[in-house]
Amino acid sequence: MQFKYTKFASALLATGLLSLPFAANANDSSELEQLRALVQELDQKVKILARQGEINEDAAKAEKKKQPVVKANSGGFGIESGDGAHSFKLRGTLQADNRAYFGDDNPSLKNDNVLRRVRPRFQGTLYNIFDFDINTDFAPNTTTVQDAYINARFQPWFQVQAGKFKSPFSLERLQSGNWIRFAERSYVADSISPNRDVGIQIHGDVLDKKLNYKVGIFNGIGDGGSGAQGGDTNTGKEFAARVFAEPFKGSDSALAGLGIGLAGTWGDDSGDPVTDRYRTPGLQTFFQYNTATLTDGDKVRWSPQAYYYYGPFGVLAEYARSSTDVKRGTRSATLDNDAWQIAASWVLTGEDNGFGGITPKSNYTPNKEGWGAFEVAARYHQLEIDKDAFTGTGAQRFAGTANTTTNFGQNITDKASTWTLGLNWYLNKNVKIATSYDHTSFDSAIAGIKDREDEKALFTRFQVAY
Amino acid sequence: MKKSLLALALLGAVFAATAPSAALAKDVEILNVSYDPTRELYKEFNAEFAKHWKEKTGDNVTIKQSHGGAGKQARAVIDGLQADVVTLALAYDIDAISEKAKLFPKDWQARLPNNSSPYTSTIVLLVRKGNPKNIKDWDDLVKPGVSVITPNPKTSGGARWNYLAAYAYALKQNNNDDTKAREFVSKIYKNVPVLDSGARGSTTTFVERGIGDVFISWENEAFLAQKELGVGKFEIVVPSVSILAEPPVTVVDKNAKKHGTEAVSKAYLEYLYSDVGQDLAGKHYYRPTNPKYVEKYASQFPKVNLIKIDDVFGGWQKAQKTHFSDGGVFDQIYQK
Repeated sequence: MQFKYTKFASALLATGLLSLPFAANANDSSELEQLRALVQELDQKVKILARQGEINEDAAKAEKKKQPVVKANSGGFGIESGDGAHSFKLRGTLQADNRAYFGDDNPSLKNDNVLRRVRPRFQGTLYNIFDFDINTDFAPNTTTVQDAYINARFQPWFQVQAGKFKSPFSLERLQSGNWIRFAERSYVADSISPNRDVGIQIHGDVLDKKLNYKVGIFNGIGDGGSGAQGGDTNTGKEFAARVFAEPFKGSDSALAGLGIGLAGTWGDDSGDPVTDRYRTPGLQTFFQYNTATLTDGDKVRWSPQAYYYYGPFGVLAEYARSSTDVKRGTRSATLDNDAWQIAASWVLTGEDNGFGGITPKSNYTPNKEGWGAFEVAARYHQLEIDKDAFTGTGAQRFAGTANTTTNFGQNITDKASTWTLGLNWYLNKNVKIATSYDHTSFDSAIAGIKDREDEKALFTRFQVAY
Repeated sequence: MKKSLLALALLGAVFAATAPSAALAKDVEILNVSYDPTRELYKEFNAEFAKHWKEKTGDNVTIKQSHGGAGKQARAVIDGLQADVVTLALAYDIDAISEKAKLFPKDWQARLPNNSSPYTSTIVLLVRKGNPKNIKDWDDLVKPGVSVITPNPKTSGGARWNYLAAYAYALKQNNNDDTKAREFVSKIYKNVPVLDSGARGSTTTFVERGIGDVFISWENEAFLAQKELGVGKFEIVVPSVSILAEPPVTVVDKNAKKHGTEAVSKAYLEYLYSDVGQDLAGKHYYRPTNPKYVEKYASQFPKVNLIKIDDVFGGWQKAQKTHFSDGGVFDQIYQK
């Protein structure tokens, strides 16, 4: 603006001077004085115009700051108040899956096309302190509230979150479903870990954001389950705590992408059905307790966990144990069920790998250069159920009384082992085509009952997430 | 039993941390919302106070500053700007915060000495070197061809002092004839080519952009321009009559309580009355109120016949309503 005015001033002055008929003959002091005065007057007028332009520009900038800002980008669509204190954002995830099972003779396993996640999500912030998140899922036959919570950011190190959200336990469970590297999570995250639950937690980042802590009280849910938003389904409550450290975060060290954590839950419940359920990566439930098996005291889970990302390489590993006091009739026991996983991935196109996802260097664009990012991944994970769950007669066992006449019945397996291969194509930050192949083998826990047949599942997913 | 205790402990932690107590906090931050020309004063004063507070309490205090036209600043606080203290150009703007936002009591001016004004100032005329338009007093500002720089009284506290100083002069010259005083002030504003929103903006217009023949200015701003911004380029003309400007300060109680900064905010303002605060005020061309520093800086400030707003205009409330409210005298006389 200043430049334009300066040029304008020069032109104006030049024009004025040249057009003055008496300029060339200004040979006496009076005329020179008149000329000088005129130039000064013009100079002032130009300066005033320029200054007025600056003032108008400042005023426009100040006014713009007061106006709401509409945002539409890969992070979602929303509106934000001029001062940034209030905002609303519409986000969402759509996952359309093809599921193919190979070589099985289980008639319940049919190849299928399903909607895995259909989650419009409404997020916002009020007064720059209070965040809220409403995340519903229309994929199940009954619409589910996945997340619905408010989070008050009193301080970065002290935040209070209340509502329904992910219980602070498994590392992979806490990773967004948009960014998991395989179609389905491992046994640790999907079977042993609680999923979402209703409760309140205090959390925050300390030590220059190198240590995150979470501690909360929840209604309490079985392994692999999600809490009902309508209220508690058992009589006890569950405490959960997790610390996760990234000691070299932000440094130039090769260990900058290292994170190590420990999580645990503790609940006390008696007389309610044990609702733990364990699934294969093909989403087939292969273990549940007998309906006559009831809670009988403590339920304790703990999980050491870590990830490491360096350039295009990433590895995530975690172990979890769930120890549950159970009883059936006069028999009681503490059953220890364990799971672990190690998963590694490599971004073939060289982008940085990370827990929070991958951003392609170039987006896929038809008929032009740019193919997005490609990633390969491999995983081995295993779940082992306490053998005491299957001891005793059929009427005494805590589990293992289901159909034992076929080799695909539930509740006869005390160990499931799976290796997984994955290939992911990130067309851009929001669109992904992913495929995972899982091969699971089972060990029968009951003498005389042969192992459940291996499960070979190929899942292919088309995902849009913003 | 165990669960109940844990639940109580957790809830206790929630309430303890949501309360504004800063018992554990060693780093404290406060926001001082001030008017336009105090930047240099508070930059130095804040550093001195931080040292003082560290020595006294061991805590680290960071003072954030916000500057702008006093009227705009007051409006921002009313609209929610989280000021812990306000240090504005005139009492009316602080009254407005009290009345409209009810963030502190109406009698705020009684909480600190000198009606809560740790320093005073006045309005002078700044002209270019050699005083080419021969400006000697207010009546020279109405002459045709004299370009006058002053900010907008609707947004700037300093501009309201300027306006009232000129108005007071006109009343005095015309035996308190209000009509003639209006005509006089109207003529001045006809000579104003640019209305900035704050005093610092007008300084920029006059000093840096080279616009105008005379700048109606805070005394401290005039000294700053003369001695630091454009050495040897300007001269100060002391008018025959000017006005005693009393920029006041107060803690914004509700905000400070919410932030847990009541003690440090109160101490911050009290420190303006200390030897350090008064000396810095004088150094930055504000007139100290402590007699010791009045004497120290006596030679720096010219003798001016200062009238008081209460004596001529019946106080700020009345002056604001008559002259600067929407549809008031200023709106009537100022034609864009």
